[in-house]
Amino acid sequence: MGTMVSLSVEIADVEGADLEGADVEDPDVESAHFESAGGWDAVRTGVHDVFRALDERFSLFREDSELSRVARGELDLMHTSDEMRETYELAVRWRSATAGAFTPDRPDGVLDLNGVVKAIAIDRAGRALSDAGAKNWCINAGGDILYRGSPEPGKRWVTGITDPLEHEKLLTSIELFDGHVAVATSGYAERGLHIWHRGATRNRFIQATAMAADIVTADVLATAALATPPGELSNLLAGHPVDVLAVDGDGELTVTPRLRDYFAHVAVE
Amino acid sequence: MRIRAFFVAAAASGVVILTGWEMGAQHATPMIASSTTTPPAPSAPAPQGGSTAAPSTATTPSPSAPAAATTSSTDGTFTGALEQSPFGTVQVSVTITGGKLTDVKTPQLTETDGHSQRIDDYAIPILRSSVLGAQSAKVNSVSGATYTSDAYLQSLQSALDKAHFAG
Repeated sequence: MGTMVSLSVEIADVEGADLEGADVEDPDVESAHFESAGGWDAVRTGVHDVFRALDERFSLFREDSELSRVARGELDLMHTSDEMRETYELAVRWRSATAGAFTPDRPDGVLDLNGVVKAIAIDRAGRALSDAGAKNWCINAGGDILYRGSPEPGKRWVTGITDPLEHEKLLTSIELFDGHVAVATSGYAERGLHIWHRGATRNRFIQATAMAADIVTADVLATAALATPPGELSNLLAGHPVDVLAVDGDGELTVTPRLRDYFAHVAVE
Repeated sequence: MRIRAFFVAAAASGVVILTGWEMGAQHATPMIASSTTTPPAPSAPAPQGGSTAAPSTATTPSPSAPAAATTSSTDGTFTGALEQSPFGTVQVSVTITGGKLTDVKTPQLTETDGHSQRIDDYAIPILRSSVLGAQSAKVNSVSGATYTSDAYLQSLQSALDKAHFAG
C-alpha cells in the first residue's frame, strides 16, 4: 500500500514494556527504549505483520498479489481465498449503501479493494494492540486514524485536519466526540487511484474527512463524500452515523450539523 | 498531573523525524474576533455555490458583528439581521459576557421547502474562519489525504508524532 503507519501506545499498558530507567516525562523516551522493550517490539512487529499480510494479498502494486492475479484475469473471483471474497463482499455492500459513490470497480474494469483494505488493516492492528493489553493508543495509517482510550487522564484525543489548499498547515482540529474514534480523510491528491468521479459530474470537493465509530465506515464515507457533488452530500450521508467535514476547490467548507454545533461550542469556550 | 508516556513508531517505515507542525494561519487571531465570524456560520444554510447569502452575511455587517468585534465590547445579546437564503430565512444572535462570546443562537431558521430540510439535516456550509477558532494547541494525530511525496508523508507522520508530545 505504500502507506506510512504511525503508532502511539501508552508504555505502561504494553505487556512486557521495559519502564526501568525510563523518564516518562521525556518526549524522547521511545527512542531510548525503542529496541530494548521486548513487549513493545512484539506489538510493533504484530502491527507491521497485519499491514504486510494484507498488502501481499491485495496490493495492485505487487504483481504476485492475489488481487493482481484477479485483475489480470488469471484467477476467477469465485475461486479466490475466503478473505478476498469476504473483502469484495464488504466493498460491494458499501457500494450499495453509498449508491455507488464508493465503488471497488475502477473505470478501467480493474477490481481495486484498497478502499476497504487499509481500513481493515487499521482495524486488525487495533485489535492486536488491544489484545496485547494496550488501553490507550492511536494508529495513524496514511492519515486515517483509529483511537482508543485517551492521550492523558481526563483528556480526549485531538485530531488535526490538514488544509488541502496548504498541505503543510492544519485547517482545524477536532476533539474526539460522541464515540467517533475513527477519523479518515480522502483527497484528490491522494496516493493511488481509488477515487473516481460519479458519472460525468465534476466533483467540487477536494478533501473530505469522516468521523465514525469504526474505521471502515469512516474510510468508506470519506471516500464516498469526496466523490459526491456538494449538492448531493446530504443524500449520501442520510442514515449513516458519521460526521463529515468537506472542503471544496475554493476552500469553502461543508459540515454536518453536529460538527457545526461543535465548532460553535468550541469557539464559545 | 501525571503525563502519560507513549511509544511512538512508524511501523511501516523506520523513519521518525521530529519536526514541528504549524497550525493554521490565523492562530494568533484574538478569540473574540474569530468568534464573531462564527455566528454567520450557523446561518449559512446558504446555497452550495456560496455566492449569495453566505458572503452577504459576511461582508454586509449585521448588527451583531460590529458590536462583538469591538474588543472592548459591550456585554449583552446582539441579534443579527434577517438574512434570506434560497433555503430559508436565517437570523443569528450572539451573547457577549465579559468581552467574550458566550453564546450563539439561531432564533430564526425557516425552511422554504422540504429540500432545505434535507440540506439542514446532513450537510451545511460553514465559514472557514469559524473552524479556525476551534484549533487546539495540542494535536495528537493528523488526518489528511496522503500525498505522493514521500517527504510530505514523512513530515506528516513525524509532525503528528511530535505533536503528540507538544503538551
